[in-house]
Amino acid sequence: MIAGLLAITILVGVWKKADIFEAFTEGAKEGLHNAIQILPALAVTLTAIRVFESSGIMEALDPLLSPLASLLRLPQGVMPLVLLRPLSGSASLSLLSEILTRYGPDSRTGLVASAMMGSGETILYTCAVYLSAAGISKSRYIVPVALAGWLTGCAVTGLLFPE
Amino acid sequence: MNAVLCMMLLSGVVYAGLHGDLETVSQAALAGGTDALQLVLSLMGGFMFFGGVIRVLEASGVISALVKTLRRPLRWLFSGELEQEALEAVTENLAANMLGVSNAATPMGIRAAKAMSRKGGNAPSAALCLFLVINATSVQLLPTSVLALRYAAGSADPERVIFPSLIASAASTFLGIVLCKLMEKRRGKG
Repeated sequence: MIAGLLAITILVGVWKKADIFEAFTEGAKEGLHNAIQILPALAVTLTAIRVFESSGIMEALDPLLSPLASLLRLPQGVMPLVLLRPLSGSASLSLLSEILTRYGPDSRTGLVASAMMGSGETILYTCAVYLSAAGISKSRYIVPVALAGWLTGCAVTGLLFPE
Repeated sequence: MNAVLCMMLLSGVVYAGLHGDLETVSQAALAGGTDALQLVLSLMGGFMFFGGVIRVLEASGVISALVKTLRRPLRWLFSGELEQEALEAVTENLAANMLGVSNAATPMGIRAAKAMSRKGGNAPSAALCLFLVINATSVQLLPTSVLALRYAAGSADPERVIFPSLIASAASTFLGIVLCKLMEKRRGKG
C-alpha cells in the first residue's frame, strides 16, 4: 500500500510537472526536524512510563482498569493508551512503542493499540491551542463529546480485531 | 499533562520504595533517555519518507483538489453558519489534517477559530465547537507515525492497521458530530 502510495505520488507529481526532488527533500527536512523536535518530550515521557511500569504499580491498578477494558471489550494491555492518548501525542507515541515491544506488533494487543493510536488525537492540546488563540476561555461540551468519540473509536478497534 | 507526568513519576518511585524495589526504578529512569533516542532514530526514516511524499503531493496540487472536494459537504455540515473566510480556513485545515500535514493545519485552524469567534463572547459558538470536535476526533487518512513504529518493531504486516484505524477514526468523528448537533438542539429547546 505504501509502495502504491509512492508510485501514485510520483506519477501525479510528474503529470503535474512538480519539482519532485525539491519537494521531497523539503518534506524530508521537515520530517527530520519534527523527529528531532519531539526527542526531549519522548525522553521525559518514556522515563515516566518506564518508572511507572517498573515500579509494579500497573499491576496494582489492574482492578481499576479491567472493568473499563471489559466494558469496551479491549485487551487489558491497551488501557494505558486509552487514558494517555487524549492527553499527549509524544507520551502516547512512547507508550505505543512500549506496547509493541512488549506484546509484539502483530499480537491482538499490538494491533488494537496501533489502530487506536491512529484513530485518535490529542484532544486537550488541540482544544487548548485553538480556543486560546481565539481568546475564548470556555470550552462548553467540546471535551466530553470528543472523549466520547475517542472511547467509541477505541471500542470499534476492539471489534475490528476480534479475539 | 504536567500533573499526569508528576503523578506517574512520584507514584512509581513511592510504590517501588514501599516494595523495596528502588534499584529497578533507578535503572528504568536512566534508560528512558536512551530509549527515546532509539525511538526517534527508528521513527526518523518514516517521518522523512512521509514528509517527502506529502510535500510532493502538495506541490502537485492534491491539497487544493481536496479543498475543492470538501467545500460543499462542509458548508452543508456547518449548516451555512460560516462566513466565507471561516469556511475557507476550516476547509483548508481539515484537508491538511487529512493528509497529516500538521505544520500547515495549525495556522489554518487558528485562523478558522479566530474568524468563527469574531462576534465576541467568552463561549465558543456552535460552529466552533463542531470544528474543534472534528479536529479532536482525528481525520488523518494515513497514520504515518504508527506505520513508522510498526515497521521499526519488525511487524510481519505493518499496514494491516490502516483500514481499521480509518474506520475507528470515522466512527469517532461521526459520533462527535452527532453529539454536537444533539447538544445544540437541546440547548435550542431549553
